[in-house]
Formats: sequence, C-alpha cells, structure tokens
Amino acid sequence: MLKIDNLHVRVAGKEILKGLTLDVAAGEVHAIMGPNGAGKSTLGNVLAGREGYEITQGSISYNGRDLLELEPEQRAAEGVFLAFQYPVEIPGVNNTYFLKAAMNAQRKHRGETELDSMQFLKLVREKLRVLHISDDLMNRAVNAGFSGGEKKRNEIFQMALLEPKLAVLDETDSGLDIDAMKMVADGVNAMRSPERAFVVITHYQRLLDYIVPDFVHVLVDGRIVESGDKSLALKLEEHGYAWIAERRLAGAA
Amino acid sequence: MSVALLDEFGVGDARERDESWRYSKTALRALAQQEFAEADPHAVLDAWLIARFDWPQTSGRRLVFVNGNYSDTHSDIGSVAACVQVRREGGKRLVLTVTGDSAEPLHMVYASIPGAVPTRWQAEADLELLAGRATVIVQHIGAAGADVLGALHSRIAIGPDAGLQLTTLSDLPDSASHYRRVNTTVAQGGTCRFTDAIFGGRLQRADLNIDLSGQGARLESRGVFVLRGRQHADTHLDIRHTARDTTCDVLWRGVADQRARGVFHGAITVAPGADGADARLSNKNLLLSAQAEIDTQPVLEIYADEVKAAHGATVGQLDETALFYLRSRGVPAATARSLLITGFCREALAGVADVNVRERLDALLAERLPDSGVSA
Repeated sequence: MLKIDNLHVRVAGKEILKGLTLDVAAGEVHAIMGPNGAGKSTLGNVLAGREGYEITQGSISYNGRDLLELEPEQRAAEGVFLAFQYPVEIPGVNNTYFLKAAMNAQRKHRGETELDSMQFLKLVREKLRVLHISDDLMNRAVNAGFSGGEKKRNEIFQMALLEPKLAVLDETDSGLDIDAMKMVADGVNAMRSPERAFVVITHYQRLLDYIVPDFVHVLVDGRIVESGDKSLALKLEEHGYAWIAERRLAGAA
Repeated sequence: MSVALLDEFGVGDARERDESWRYSKTALRALAQQEFAEADPHAVLDAWLIARFDWPQTSGRRLVFVNGNYSDTHSDIGSVAACVQVRREGGKRLVLTVTGDSAEPLHMVYASIPGAVPTRWQAEADLELLAGRATVIVQHIGAAGADVLGALHSRIAIGPDAGLQLTTLSDLPDSASHYRRVNTTVAQGGTCRFTDAIFGGRLQRADLNIDLSGQGARLESRGVFVLRGRQHADTHLDIRHTARDTTCDVLWRGVADQRARGVFHGAITVAPGADGADARLSNKNLLLSAQAEIDTQPVLEIYADEVKAAHGATVGQLDETALFYLRSRGVPAATARSLLITGFCREALAGVADVNVRERLDALLAERLPDSGVSA
C-alpha cells in the first residue's frame, strides 16, 4: 500500500530525513518509535502533504501512485489520514459543518454521492456512540477550547468518520491519561481490518500495549536503524534509545 | 485636508480631524475634489435592490429612505408597536421614540441611488429609548453607477434600565461613499448591543461615539469589515466611561484583500470618578494580499480607580497550519480558506440574537468573502 524509498527531506534548509525506507502493506500496523528530533513528525507531515518540506531524494508510492504529486486534500480523498500531534484550534468554524464539508468533498472526489444533513448526522451519531464521545463535541468550534484529551479524541473521531485506508497517528498518545489512551487504542483497534493500514508514531512503548503492532521500527537521526516485531518496543522501553545508539556503534566498529 | 467636506460631516476641530483622518486622507481628498449635485430624493429603486430589504420578517415595520429622503412608496409602518412613535421632521429627519418593550425589530433602510452625475445626500435619525427593550436593524445599500456620497447623523439616547440591540448592515457598491456618525448616551442601568457589518464602498467612515454616562451602563460592540478591490473602510469607536461601574466589551474583526484598506480606531476613556469601570477591547485583522493594508489603533486612557481594562489588536495572515489541517481532512484549498475567513468573522457576529438577521449576515458574509464558493 505504502512504499517509502530512500526518502530525504529538508526543513528550513536542514536535512531531517536522511534516507528513510519503509513498506507498509494493507492490514498491517507499523509503529515508529524514536527519540525527540529523529524526524518522526516530519514523516507524518510529509505523508499528509504539508508545505515547507523539501523532498531532495527518494520517493513515496501509495497504492501504485506517486503520493508526492497529490495535494493534501487529494491524499485525504484517496484515503490518507493524519492524526495531528497538535490538533489545530479553529474558532468560528463549527465541527459538524467542517466535517460535513470534508466528508462530502472526499466523496465527490471519489465519484460517490454526497451525504445530505440527515444521512451525515446519522453517521456521526453512530461513530460517536461507538467511541463513547458526547455529541456536544459536534456543536462546538473545531478544537476551540478543547482540553488536550478532547482534541485527541476529536482526531480519532474524525478518523472513524472519514474511514481512511492509511491512518498515520502522530504521537496521539502524548499528553493523554490512561483512560483517554485506552479510548484512542479502542478507536484504532475497532478500525483494524485487512484493507486498512496504520502507522503509529509514538515516543513511548505504553500505547503499544493497547495497539499491538505487527512491526516496530526505530527512527534515529532521519533513518530507520532497527526493525522488528513488538518485542523490539519492549527492549527499547527497558534499555532506552541509547541502547540503539550503542548497538549501532558496536555494529559499525 | 478637505475641510469643507469635514465641516459638513460635522467632524471636530482641525487637530482632531487631522489625527482622526490620518489613514483616510487620500480617500477623503479624492472625494473632496469631485463635484457633487444633490441626489434625487425620488430616484427609482430596481427590483433586485428592493429584494435586498423586502424581508417578510419586518414587513409593516420598515422605514425606507431613498438618498436620505423618506420614501412613502417603500416604507410600511402599519405594524409598528403602540409603544413606538415615529415622527418625521421634513423628508430627511426622523425621530423614533420607544416607551416600552417592543418585541419585533424595527427595520430602517438607507438606499443610495446614483444619478447621471456624482450626487450626495444627508439625513438625520434620532432614537430615544425611554424604557423597555428594542431591536433596530439599519441597512445601508446602494446601486452601482455614478458616485454617491451619503451622510447619516444619528443620536441615540438609552434611558434608565432600557436595552437596545442595534444591528447595522452596510453593504455598498464601489461607487458609494458613506459618512455615518452615531452619538449614543446610555443612562443608569441601560444596556446597548451594537453590531456593525461593513462591506464594500469607496470610502465608508463611521464615527461611533458612546457615552456610558449612567451608573452601571453597559455597551457591547461587535463589528466586522470585509473589503476587497480598492474598497476603504474606516471605523472610529470613541467610548467614554463617565459614571461608576460602567462596562464596555468591544470585539471587532477586519478582513482586507487585494488593494483594500481598513482602519480601526478603538478609543476607550475612563473619566475621573468613573471608578469600577470594566473595559475590554479586542481587534483582530486578516490581510489576504500583500497590497492590502489594515491599520488598527487601540487607545486606552484611564483616569479613575479600580478599573479593569484589557485591550489587544493584531494584524495577521491566514493561519497556514489551520489551512493544512482542513485540507488534510479533504477540504479543497479554496473552501478551506473560505471556512477560515468566515469563521474569523463569525466570532464577532455570533451574538446577534435575531435569527433572521443572523442568517442574512451569514449569507452576506459568504457572498462578500474574497474566496466565495463555500459549500457543505
């Protein structure tokens, strides 16, 4: 589904990703772990199409298409979703209005019929119920005045509503208490399916107790330096990222 | 400085003029160099223009002025409540007296209709709210063509414990200019909620002077201007707290695209003795092009004790992160921009209580936004 090959990315003149390679097949959950500044969020932003990231080398193909050719809204319509590390507050823009505009723009792009207000609200209520989210969220402005936990819940709710094929979660667990984290994990687990893939970017192993990944990758200094199964996350938790650096030094010697 | 024109606008002394017109000098000078004939008081209104104010919700409570002149043809005050007295002094002066609760809004329309050559009109409208609550909607509209320069002077007196909601919708073509002065006094325990929505116009200048002269008097001022092309709008708020425990809460938003020019001056003075005043002012502005300009000046002068005051003003651009957030959910770029600009303006208009007016404001906003095409 997603093939990232030798990706080099510069931000504000500084090289952040330095040859990242990653294959994600439909149905898989990949966890990307790494220390601060390794390039984890850059990866998420590049996948979603944020401006200001210069691709100097390498390629990203998504379902056989060149992902880098597509505008952010086209990527969304093709099924790419990024759960933001810092969801943006947009005062004055109603959540329901925004999500209906988003959903119908995606449907239009895919040649599907647009949902009317009744159909849309029915779908919204279903998803809210499954995620145990109160519907007053929908009457508020997008993330405006939301607590950190509410913002992350809203991200997961949007993911559930928009039903992407490839969901990238950028440190969705950061700043969450254990209950909110479980809610996020439940939301992801409920959506796991053979047609859908997840890339879960996280700093800590804790989230991976709840979202059990098929693969774990360690991102250090712009490259994936180690890949393994879920046991790799546990080793990292035990030994810290310094352990990886030491192993790399030992390997190089 | 175009003294003759300012004299007619009735704007203060020379020094005050100089300072208060500093961002609109050029626009004013250009107007002053033009010859203006008297506007036709009996100009004919096209059907599309009539449709802009012929709201079923206000039929029977509508006063229409064509080029400043009361129009018997278009006005209908058959359903005005018994507690509202409408007195006309000549064609161009109107006095409204409200003596009790008037549940239904009163709708006043000023239409600027061009002639063959540039023309001008002047009018006066006074409102006395002796008791109770009243809602008034003032609409300024116009047809495109030769220049029209209109001037409206108003005095508003809000009596003890009375409450006024005044919403002004000014939506002018690029050939229309407007000078509007509203002098308001609020007596003890009185409240006023003013909402101004300003669109278009060659030069729209508003001097909104409010004197909170009675103990506990309250003002809430909300406003937005949305400009593009070479439109120019200049709003001056001059709020004076002259009694104890008075409150003002000012929230204005401005948007300018292309070569448009917006000016916001928000002055709050807490006079000696007006202890316990609470004054807050927020003015945020959005520039959508490199050639657009917005000047904002919040001015706070406090000469009393135990005063709470806060003010802030910003001029910025559309938030790129917010834009990316919306696009990353599938909203096309143009729609995302519209959503953000509309949302920015709505913050100032959300409190309009009358559903009909709020819906019309929303529609106007969607129509007049630099990036139209919001659909959802």
